[in-house]
Parts: sequence; C-alpha cells; structure tokens
Amino acid sequence: MNSILLAIIAVFIILILYDMRIFIRNKEPAKVYVLYFFLMGAGLIVSLLLAAGIRPVAPSRLIEAVFKMIGIAK
Amino acid sequence: MGKTRISGLQLFMLLSGFLFGSTVILAPALGAKNDAWLAIIIGGTGGALLMLIYAAISLLNPSKTLVEILKEKMGKVLGSIIAVLYIWYFIHLASLVFRDFGEFICTVTFPETPMTVLISIFALGVVYGVNGGVEVMGRMGELLVPIIPTFILIVSVSLITVNDFTAFLPVLENGMGPVLKAALSYITFPFGETVAFLMLFPNLNRKEKLKKIVFVSAALSALISIVIFFRDISVLGSDLMSRVTFVPHSTTLLFPEANVDPLVDINLMIGGEAKIGVCIYAATKAISQVAGIENYTNLTRAVGAFCVVLSVWDFENVLDLFSWTERIYSYYAITFQVIIPLILLVLSLIKRSKPAEGSDADNEGVIASK
Repeated sequence: MNSILLAIIAVFIILILYDMRIFIRNKEPAKVYVLYFFLMGAGLIVSLLLAAGIRPVAPSRLIEAVFKMIGIAK
Repeated sequence: MGKTRISGLQLFMLLSGFLFGSTVILAPALGAKNDAWLAIIIGGTGGALLMLIYAAISLLNPSKTLVEILKEKMGKVLGSIIAVLYIWYFIHLASLVFRDFGEFICTVTFPETPMTVLISIFALGVVYGVNGGVEVMGRMGELLVPIIPTFILIVSVSLITVNDFTAFLPVLENGMGPVLKAALSYITFPFGETVAFLMLFPNLNRKEKLKKIVFVSAALSALISIVIFFRDISVLGSDLMSRVTFVPHSTTLLFPEANVDPLVDINLMIGGEAKIGVCIYAATKAISQVAGIENYTNLTRAVGAFCVVLSVWDFENVLDLFSWTERIYSYYAITFQVIIPLILLVLSLIKRSKPAEGSDADNEGVIASK
C-alpha cells in the first residue's frame, strides 16, 4: 500500500474520531451518524480510488451527458 | 435554539465577498473579448434583478430558509426532493471554487505542492469559520472583504503608466451575439450563485434593508468587474488577455519594479473563503433541515471533506475545468438560479394575494414586503 493511500486513510480516521467524540458526548440521533458516514464514506472511497489511479466517472461528466442527451449542450 | 442574527453591513460584506469570489482570479465575461465591459453592464443589470428576485422571495417568506420555502410551497415530498438537488448544487459549487483556488495557487504560487494539500489546508480554515456560525462568517466578512477592492484599486492605479487606453476598441466588432452570451454567463457566474443566500437571508436583523443591500452589492461587484476589465485589457491587450489562464495574475506581473502577485492571492483567499463558506453553510444547513437535525455543525466537516474530494475528482486538469464551465455550467446552473426561484416567487405571490385565514407567516410576509 503506498504512502498516499495511508495518508488519506489517516486523515479520514482523525476526522471521524474527532467527530465521533462530539457525537457521543452530545448523544446525537442515528440519522446524524447515517448522514455523516454516507458523506465521509463516499469521500474516502473516491479519494482512495483516485490515489490508486482509478478515476470514477466524474459528476460533471454525468451532468454533461444529461445535457447532451436532452439536446441542450453540444 | 435561538436564531443568530447578522447586521446589514455584515450581509453586504458577505455578499460582496461571495460575488468577488473566484472572479478576482478569473476575469468574467471574457467570451465577449473587447466588448466584455458591455457584457458586464448587461449581465450586471440582469444579475442585480435576479438577486432582487431572491430578496423578494425571502421577504415574502420571512424567517424561512430556502428548504422551508420549498417544502411549504411545493409540498413536503417534492420540496424535499428539490431541496436535495439544491444541497448537491451548493456542494458542487463549493468544490468548483475549491478547484479554482487550488489550480490558481498550484500554478502561480506553490507549483511544487500537491493541489490536494493546498485545498485541504484551505478547507480547514473555511470549515472552522462555518462552524462558528453565520455571525462569525459575517464578522469575518466585515473585517476582510474591504481588503479586496482596496488591493484591486492599488494594483489598478499603480499600473496606470503601462496602460493603452484604446485597447478596448473597436466596439461591437463581432456584433451583439458574443456580448449577450457572455452576459448570460456573467449572470450565472457569480450573480445567480447567490441563490445560496436564501439560506442566510432569514438571519438578517433588519429585513427592510435587504433589497437595498442586495442591489448595492450587485452594483459594486459589476463596477469592480468593469474596473478590472479596463485595467487588464489596457495593460495586456485584447489578444494576450484571451490567451492567458489567470488574467489578473498576468496583469500584476507587469507591475513595475515590485512583485504584487501576493495581493491577488490574498484577494482570492478572502473571496474564496467567503464563497465556499456560504456554500458549505447553505449545504449543511439544508441537509440538517431536510433530515430534521438540530445542529448543522455536526455535518460541516463531512461536507467540507466531501467538497475537497469532489474538487479533485471532478476535473482532470485546469483546461477540463474551464472547458466544462464554459460549455455546460450556464445550462446546469440556470435551473437552480432562475427557473426554481421564479416558480417560488410566483407561488409566494399567489399565496400572498390569497392569504390563508389566521396565518401569521402570511401576515408577516405582507408586512415585510411592504
């Protein structure tokens, strides 16, 4: 595993641990955890893929494809 | 939990900082080349009108954010779906500004530093500000945003000796077509993006000043854009201006016997911070209102982290970014910036003309709009 992947995982773990401490202390409801892990999980997966040299289809490309499909953009 | 309030001056500074945002490094309306000043005037007028529409929506629905207005006017299900689309738009907008910032700093100031590192460090500051709340963001704007026009003025006046004041001639060489196209893009970037302020307007302490604040900040932004355009074109010339990536940066390189490039960097940091801060605030506040979470600050770090990743993921390089924003962004943004707000305005006006019996919110709306 290369150092960039490790650095990414370390940054996300630090952020998650920092926030978990606050969530547990404030007894946040489950939906906060669900939304939080959805956003952090998506960010972590995409950044690991990018670091590994795999670029998933970008949202801007999907948006462009939609506008091309409906004939607005060329 | 009590609602935090910001003063008219703080909102004005935040709005102005937001409007300067990326435009301090990317000269707007450049598609019109020599006639960009005309496009800025036309686009600025349209942009001011658009911002007044946002202000009118807010005044017709006092104390309600965009998400609350959507839910009330369009029903809970459809309103929530559109609110989720707006959340996406705010996150995407923040990531686009992050990328502008990263590309500029990487190209100009720190060419050896990875862009992800620069964007991440910038994001830490922004998220810290957003966690402080609207009041902190407003105070930060009050303190820092006046620096932007000051630096622009310093650079513009200092370059007066290397100016060619006829560089913008001839007028309308290519007709009105490119001017109108550039004007449209100038409306969507940056004026239409202030739709994010529909999440902040309810925090204004004196609502009667809202329209005035919005109009003055739009006029100031257009005026400064015109100053920047005339400065850049008279220093660089039309041909060079259409070739360089970061026009204001190239202009500062011609500053006689001094390196004033950091002034552009500082302007970008202040404007970018205001713009990204507002977008992340709007996105997290909207998420918390859709999901029914009391404290929006629980999600600011997650949203900030996602914005950073999205900014790196979305485009392979700076040319890809510019190409996409030039070809697609106006069409993409117009739904969020014009179509949905116009529908909301019409629905709000219909509701005002037929007030529901005993509805306090409607009564407040009538009073506020007067």
